[in-house]
Amino acid sequence: MTKSGLNAIFIANRERLLRFLAAHGAGDAAEDLLQELWLKIEAAPPGPVGNPLSYLYRTANNLVIDRHRATTQAVKRDRAWSESVSGEAGQSDAPLSERQIIAQQQLEQVQQALDSLGQRASRIFRRHRIDGIAQKDIAAELGISLSTVESDLRLAYRTMIDLRRRFDEV
Amino acid sequence: MAQEPAMTEQTALDWIIRQRDPGFDDWGAFVLWLEADPAHADAYHAMAAADKGLDDLLTSLPTVQEMTAMPEPARLNRRAWIGGALAASIVAAVSLYLYVPRSDPWAVETAPGVRRTVTLADGSNIALNGGTRVMLDHANPRTASLERGEAMFTISHDPDHPFEVQAGETRLVDIGTAFNVLRDNGQIDIAVSEGAVLYNPGREAVRIDAGHRLHADDKTGTYMLDDIPGSTVAGWRQGRLVYDGQSLERVAADLSRYYGINIAVTPAIAGQGFRGVLSLPPKEKIETLAPILNVNMRQDAMGWILTPR
Repeated sequence: MTKSGLNAIFIANRERLLRFLAAHGAGDAAEDLLQELWLKIEAAPPGPVGNPLSYLYRTANNLVIDRHRATTQAVKRDRAWSESVSGEAGQSDAPLSERQIIAQQQLEQVQQALDSLGQRASRIFRRHRIDGIAQKDIAAELGISLSTVESDLRLAYRTMIDLRRRFDEV
Repeated sequence: MAQEPAMTEQTALDWIIRQRDPGFDDWGAFVLWLEADPAHADAYHAMAAADKGLDDLLTSLPTVQEMTAMPEPARLNRRAWIGGALAASIVAAVSLYLYVPRSDPWAVETAPGVRRTVTLADGSNIALNGGTRVMLDHANPRTASLERGEAMFTISHDPDHPFEVQAGETRLVDIGTAFNVLRDNGQIDIAVSEGAVLYNPGREAVRIDAGHRLHADDKTGTYMLDDIPGSTVAGWRQGRLVYDGQSLERVAADLSRYYGINIAVTPAIAGQGFRGVLSLPPKEKIETLAPILNVNMRQDAMGWILTPR
């Protein structure tokens, strides 16, 4: 897919992409996000893309998720900052060593959570989430049924996402 | 098209998993799902952001050794199966020869609506909810089999002799433990309040730690793990049942077991989820539960029936 090709697909599907961003609840920001998507494919065109429209959807989807993360983290920083100026100084600005300890503890918890899934589910999750292997390929690779892969992945993603959300609550 | 929050979360999770497949191309259906209810996007964003937040943590993990094929038992080829069976029968024959297996079973059973606690020789105790049958064995005091119903096991731990509970096809091994097991209608529900339990060692081998609950299909072994506050495990002992989105069908089954009367749900709302705490009133005042469950309760010849409000 040449650069102009992807851009042409973008222009032809502008309304569909806008509808997608609106469905995400982007509201007034939908146009902004669409602009951001355009700039992104202009600035760093991908290599050959098998399915350009799917690629655009996926990139748009990632933008929404990143924006969501940025917003919630900004809210959290704001709150931490106001707490630190309202007399609880030091809590939000942990020294580096302490932050490193927290990071290490989180890493250990991630490892424990993976272990708790059992060997099979843990392997399937790593294969899918870290290595980016399709579910049907994992099933073929391990000689198990697709439905086993699906149910293991549900449990694994749920466990790991819940764990990550608990880190955010701290 | 509003869904229950737990249902929405599950669907959001399924989208996240599917979208991580490199060939995912079902964006049209995803748009329709997002558009069906604004709550869908909220649930999706919260979970997708957490999922994305795992990136750094996961890439910092040490890498695992080479993947090897892990065939399911059902897929073992015939020769392997025959070999295994042969080996097993030799082991069985040899062990029969070495010692005569002793077994001295006894049963503890409760009628619906009756609760009872038994204390074992080693100080462990088993609290039985109504309508429950547990098989024990004098010759093997560290085993129990939940034939039906619900029981809370508080086990005095002995690392050399772990306590084992069998419930249908499900096997549980304690790792220093207090845990509740419910066996109902082919479903197994294990909730751990202290220590940990190993679920189906040798198969799924899932460790259930305190504060967690595992819900499994006894036949297929398909399971889900989630959180449960330790203090709410086996709440039936204090007449308090805590729910986090379980179906009304399940709530009705719990109430039937507790009160010893038949409590049914009309199919229209059987799958409806309930979230909240039931402080169980005396049997004569059972209908005071109706507003909390957001249903109408009607008495008939069979017992009680929950109907839409």
